[in-house]
Amino acid sequence: MESLGEAPWDAVICGTGLQQSLLALALSRSNKRILHLDPNEYYGQHEAAFSLQEADSFAAAHALTTAAADAERSISGGDGAADQATTSVAESSIFRNASVWKHAEAEAKGLSFSRAYTLALAPQIIHTRSKLLAQLVSSRAYRQIEFLAVGSFFVYELAHDKPKLSRIPSSREDVFSSQSIPARSKRSLMKFLKFVVDYDSDDQKSVWEGQADTRLTDFLTSQFKLDDSLRTYILALTLTLDGNVSVKDGLAIINRHLTSMGLFGPGFCAVYPKWGGLSEIAQVGCRAGAVGGGIYMLGTDMHFQGGADKEQMSLKLSNDVDVRTKTLATSRKNAAADAQTVSRLVAVVDSPLKSLFEILVEGAPTPVVAVVAFPSSSDLADGEQASDAPVYAMVHSSETGECPNGQCVIYLTTLAEPGAKQRLNQALDTLLQAVSVNQNTATSLYQLYYEQSSSEKAPLIETHGSSTVFSFASTSQTLAFDDSDLDAVKSAWTVAMGSDVREEEYLIFEDREGADVDDDVYD
Amino acid sequence: MPDSANAPKPSSSVKLVLLGEAAVGKSSLVLRFVNNDFQENKEPTIGAAFLTQKCNLPTRTIKFEIWDTAGQERFASLAPMYYRNAQAALVVYDLTKPTSLVKAKHWVAELQRQASPGIVIALVGNKLDLTNDSGSSGPSESAAAAAAEGGEEESGDARKVSTDEAKTYAEEESLLFFETSAKTGHNVTEVFTAIANAIPETSLKSTRGPGAANAVSRVGDEQRVNLTGPREAVKEGCAC
Repeated sequence: MESLGEAPWDAVICGTGLQQSLLALALSRSNKRILHLDPNEYYGQHEAAFSLQEADSFAAAHALTTAAADAERSISGGDGAADQATTSVAESSIFRNASVWKHAEAEAKGLSFSRAYTLALAPQIIHTRSKLLAQLVSSRAYRQIEFLAVGSFFVYELAHDKPKLSRIPSSREDVFSSQSIPARSKRSLMKFLKFVVDYDSDDQKSVWEGQADTRLTDFLTSQFKLDDSLRTYILALTLTLDGNVSVKDGLAIINRHLTSMGLFGPGFCAVYPKWGGLSEIAQVGCRAGAVGGGIYMLGTDMHFQGGADKEQMSLKLSNDVDVRTKTLATSRKNAAADAQTVSRLVAVVDSPLKSLFEILVEGAPTPVVAVVAFPSSSDLADGEQASDAPVYAMVHSSETGECPNGQCVIYLTTLAEPGAKQRLNQALDTLLQAVSVNQNTATSLYQLYYEQSSSEKAPLIETHGSSTVFSFASTSQTLAFDDSDLDAVKSAWTVAMGSDVREEEYLIFEDREGADVDDDVYD
Repeated sequence: MPDSANAPKPSSSVKLVLLGEAAVGKSSLVLRFVNNDFQENKEPTIGAAFLTQKCNLPTRTIKFEIWDTAGQERFASLAPMYYRNAQAALVVYDLTKPTSLVKAKHWVAELQRQASPGIVIALVGNKLDLTNDSGSSGPSESAAAAAAEGGEEESGDARKVSTDEAKTYAEEESLLFFETSAKTGHNVTEVFTAIANAIPETSLKSTRGPGAANAVSRVGDEQRVNLTGPREAVKEGCAC
């Protein structure tokens, strides 16, 4: 078998995050020679999923504070591939301030062994209307992914000084039958729901276009007379981290939410891939790349060495092998100076929190993800660290494969403002109190905390002669998968395909021989 | 599920990964199992391959999702993406080649260290047709041919790994153990059936009803979301 350096590669992909892995999937039938690297010893990069042991290592590797990470960045230089000669993906400044915490009696209280857990760095829910799902189906990659249903959305409220989770009605029928919404409010809400399903039509545009960039919450008051609690519900459904979503963006998100409901079955608007969310999709992309003949190397970084000649560039791999390629697809590694940063807390909890995963619609699949919104963390117990930014908790049942039976994993996110870590902890405690039964408050056994920034938003495309370096921007921090992350994958694919590009065939594949199962419906 | 006699059997998917040194017959075993076919001088697998095959047990149907990895994998970076979340692994060696058993033991150790807890591992010695005890059919042509070409002992037996050695090792490590011939088909279906039987019910709950672990849900609810078709068929299955 020839060595890595002998013949030139059509494309070298560095990093196995979602975008690079989807690129590998897109190129998997192209007969191009692909070398796919990852500097880490694990797959998934920013979208990886970890055992506890891996989470410990991740925290240790990203324990630097913001200031230290910035200092490191100023030493290591800029963001372009040529400048990246000294920065590796592993040293990226996207993640920082990471730490783990373990309950003093964790094992006695049921914490299982390391590999019994799969903690996802990217636990995004995927709306059923997302283009990502359509692409996974058309590329036949969906066959290897188990999609599970996302269930109810709750809003945290204080009722008579007692924490309470109120379920947001998920459909018009649900609004009708709701006991907690006064009749008058129901009418306003129904009017809004009717409007939003159709908001982009010529008729309805006139209602909001003049206020497109104003705050959604003000629009809901002025236009639909929605009261406080209904506004809170609507804002919670947008899953926006700063709570200040604009009319234009907010309506688009609510529209996506409502029109996604029921698309693949009753009672859910979004799905979650079993075994670690986007991590699993990234894995499937890489597997498709391998089936297509791509060569995979973990624990191997590369450094750009310049244009080898007019046609190709030269890369030095960290194992000292020189390779040549026409196209390099990698990632922008440095956080942008003004990038939004989020704080994330991943907690393993010693209770299944069953009340959050009830089936509410006849024939619906058992939900495995529940969303809890804390509209403004000023409501949380300790006033000192108050902030207007909401906290969101995605509660995952053990059916996600991320923890053993009888436990659950909670992913909390808020903006990384001062005190964010304390607010996440308070939100977690409050959530556990609110769902506890018979005084038995659930306990958190293991926690991973980290802050996640993002690179400049657009991909960076540099050409050297006729070769191209394509650097993906980091994926969106949104809590629901953002389809705009898919655009760069197609751009990179177009670059890598060169003159062979046939746009109408992008990610449209036949089943491979032997895999064309006709039994999607289990018999 | 309804407990009427004509109710469909519960069906579950099982992810199975094939590991082993190059040219021990991994792909041939799968080809025999999936298509009941055998190809002499099969091309080496490049990268990896994905195939599916159903296995009908008396009480349930198992759909194997088989990941066939390239044995000549140079950088040991492919296997982790396959054995992650795999419920079963088939580790194959060539019983005419002792080094392939060494490699198999290496894979078993890696699986025990890295793969899902509770993964069912089967150790399979392939190419039984090249030995004298090739199952019920007696020595095959290829055994004779191999003996002629390779100048084996006059017995025509190319076996270099004794059944006892491999079996003892398998017992120590709690592995299922079989000697097979992908060429004659001997023991091939048996391997997969044994794996299907060894998968604990609890690890199957994910694709079929939620089981006892989730009392909130009604038994028989399909959890896996189907992205391609209308839900009617599934609903019918549950509504009766």
